[in-house]
Amino acid sequence: MSTLRAFTMPKWGIEMQEGTVGEWSVREGEPFTKGQLIVSIETDKIVNEVQAEFDSTFVRVIAQTGDTYPVGALLGVMADGAASAAEIDAFVKSFEGAPGASVADRDGPSAGHASAARHAGGPSAASAAHGAGSSTVVTAPSTFEIAAGIAISPAARELAVRNRIDVARLGGSGRNGRLTLQDVTQASRPERKVGGGSPVSVAITTATLDRFYASPSAKRLAAEHNVNLAVIKGTGPRGRISRQDVTQAANLKPAAGPAAPEFEIVRMSAMRKAIASRLSHSKATVPHFYLRTEVNFDALLALRAGSKQQTGAAPSLNDYLVRAAALALIEVPEVNIQVHGDEIHRFRHADVAVAVATDKGLLTPIVRGAETKPVAAIGNELRHLAERARAGKLRPEEFESGSFTVSNLGMFGVEQFDAIINAPQGAILAAGATRRRPVEVNGRAGFASLVALSLSCDHRAIDGAVGARFLAALRDLLESPQRL
Amino acid sequence: MAQLTVREAIAQTIHDEMARDPNIVILGEDIVGGNGTAGGPEAIGGIWGLTGGLYAKFGPNRVIDTPISESCIVGAAAGAALAGKRAIAELMFADFIGVCLDQLWNQMAKFRYMFGGRSTCPVTVRITYGAGLNCAAQHSQAAYAMLTSIPGLKVVMPTTPADAKGLLTSAIRGDDPVMFFEHKTLYGEKGEVPDGDYLVPFGHARMVRQGKDATIVTCGQLVGQAAKAADLLAKEGIACDVIDLRTTSPLDEEAILDSVEATGRLIVADESPPRCSLASDIAGLVASKAFAALHAPIEMVTAPHTPVPFARELESAYLPSSKSIEAAVRKVLSYR
Repeated sequence: MSTLRAFTMPKWGIEMQEGTVGEWSVREGEPFTKGQLIVSIETDKIVNEVQAEFDSTFVRVIAQTGDTYPVGALLGVMADGAASAAEIDAFVKSFEGAPGASVADRDGPSAGHASAARHAGGPSAASAAHGAGSSTVVTAPSTFEIAAGIAISPAARELAVRNRIDVARLGGSGRNGRLTLQDVTQASRPERKVGGGSPVSVAITTATLDRFYASPSAKRLAAEHNVNLAVIKGTGPRGRISRQDVTQAANLKPAAGPAAPEFEIVRMSAMRKAIASRLSHSKATVPHFYLRTEVNFDALLALRAGSKQQTGAAPSLNDYLVRAAALALIEVPEVNIQVHGDEIHRFRHADVAVAVATDKGLLTPIVRGAETKPVAAIGNELRHLAERARAGKLRPEEFESGSFTVSNLGMFGVEQFDAIINAPQGAILAAGATRRRPVEVNGRAGFASLVALSLSCDHRAIDGAVGARFLAALRDLLESPQRL
Repeated sequence: MAQLTVREAIAQTIHDEMARDPNIVILGEDIVGGNGTAGGPEAIGGIWGLTGGLYAKFGPNRVIDTPISESCIVGAAAGAALAGKRAIAELMFADFIGVCLDQLWNQMAKFRYMFGGRSTCPVTVRITYGAGLNCAAQHSQAAYAMLTSIPGLKVVMPTTPADAKGLLTSAIRGDDPVMFFEHKTLYGEKGEVPDGDYLVPFGHARMVRQGKDATIVTCGQLVGQAAKAADLLAKEGIACDVIDLRTTSPLDEEAILDSVEATGRLIVADESPPRCSLASDIAGLVASKAFAALHAPIEMVTAPHTPVPFARELESAYLPSSKSIEAAVRKVLSYR
């Protein structure tokens, strides 16, 4: 077995990147001697001939005349003796990983052909597109024209035509007087008067402080307040005296800025920002609609009073409301959902989030599987969650997700309100305060304890009839509280 | 305080510093100047008349006339500084910086860095520069922008006699190579100079005029032109800040930004041609760090992109002036 050697595209000069192979002067299997002409190669600058640097024989010629190869690409394989086809194949293959070959890999050995083909296709395709464009694009007829031969940028031209500005009288500020967008913009605006005022003083007030290493504004301050800079140690870069150094050293009050505003600026907490962002997103992107009803709480209040008499403690109306909502969600599962893009996630359990006001903002801890828990258990869990929420100790799993939210402002005397959906949930229930109101009962006037409920629904997933069904189920449960 | 010219302030500072520190040597072409003439060795004292009297006082070992070779002057100064001396080198014309650029750019500027801070190179290269005296294309250039771009060199440009003293003292006493640019038209400028030790720190611009309408940033010869323009505009109620950079490396960015943030308008006047100039550098700085404060595009007042002409009328057309600065201020203010 003899040693195989690579014959590669040479690099002539700093800028040569590829070369085109000309006529081969040697043939495969024909020995050549040192100094003999091997092949001519054409670069974008010259045509040159490659001469043999030693005696050898090409056992394989790879490059075809007329093809273009990057510098370092394998053009042929040489050997001093016989070599089997398998050996040569292996050599060619091994060469593919070599540095020169990686250049070749980028464009492929026939990059010249490929790019030539692209070029050939390019102009005709482009001109076809251009032709189509020019025949279909009809510009609005305009009597305003910019004379040919005026050098103006495309954007400036468009603005000039739109604003009907006579650009011929403008001086262009661009290279060789070309009109720029700024020139035309300026010409579109009213002139600004300069000067003509009464004299002012531009005398320097800090000249005596020149030798001090202090910022200009520090010097101005020092001059205004007669502060001796010699005794101040600068804290700025390279010991420079800053405005702050002067203020501190001279115990000056910071200069009165513009009049204090009639409000205090409070930076939003991270939680406030999160609430702002989530609710803005919900209200802006979720198509809300609202269903309102009134529920007679007489039976529920009686039940609760009885319970209180028996046990001394009773669940709150809110606990009943959560329980009733949970049962209604199981009854009308189309409302027990989250909306995620094209998908509606229908929940197996009623994971009811309850709005809790804390001093930092609104939190919505979740009673999971609320339909499986008795009212008293819901009550206990809610009190526990509310305490933890107010203490800022809720764990993420205690307030994230959920399939529905109940928000109750009844305890604040709010009669009725509409809530913003706690996205991605599909709906939220807003409950007001219990009010004694005259009602008609079996043809006679009487009084009843009424609570206004408002259901906000995401119309992408919940239609009016579905929401109404849910609200009806909820009302039935609340008005027949023994089922709770 | 004494009334001195820039020329006198520089000469006096060299005398004072050489007397104070026996380690200081000064080298340059014809700085003694009179050797071999009828008037004796001190007959000339340098073609700019800045080094008269030094030879008599400090002798041939400390005041050295060199051949006409900038690379020799700067190379010898750098070598002396490395060996423990403190050197003042004089280049008669900034235009010949090209001849000694290797000594400046590749040697002096790099020593401290390449020797890990163990070596310093206390050389003050005093360079006479600038147009305005009909010296033609090869003896009029303002080469400071080129040297300002080289890390490791400090670039200083006094415009008043007081600054000439304060900045030259800082330059000589400092441990790093300083390019001390002296404008040939400013040698005759008169002004008060503080007595005794007086140092002006580098990287510390001087406020020349104070106003709220526009900021004119400049250096060297054009400081006076800018002040003249500001005074003229003040008569019409237009008040400009005029900032004399004093040193372009280090650059007092804070003074520039402070002022532009207050005025919202910037004019940069620079004696160099505009490409890759001090003007474009400062315009870039302000565009990137004070963009929000700007009310109008930055106006650059520079020489045109051409060699300095010889003909007097052409040279004065070439140089930025109080008139061109004034026009630039009006243009920036008229932006709508």
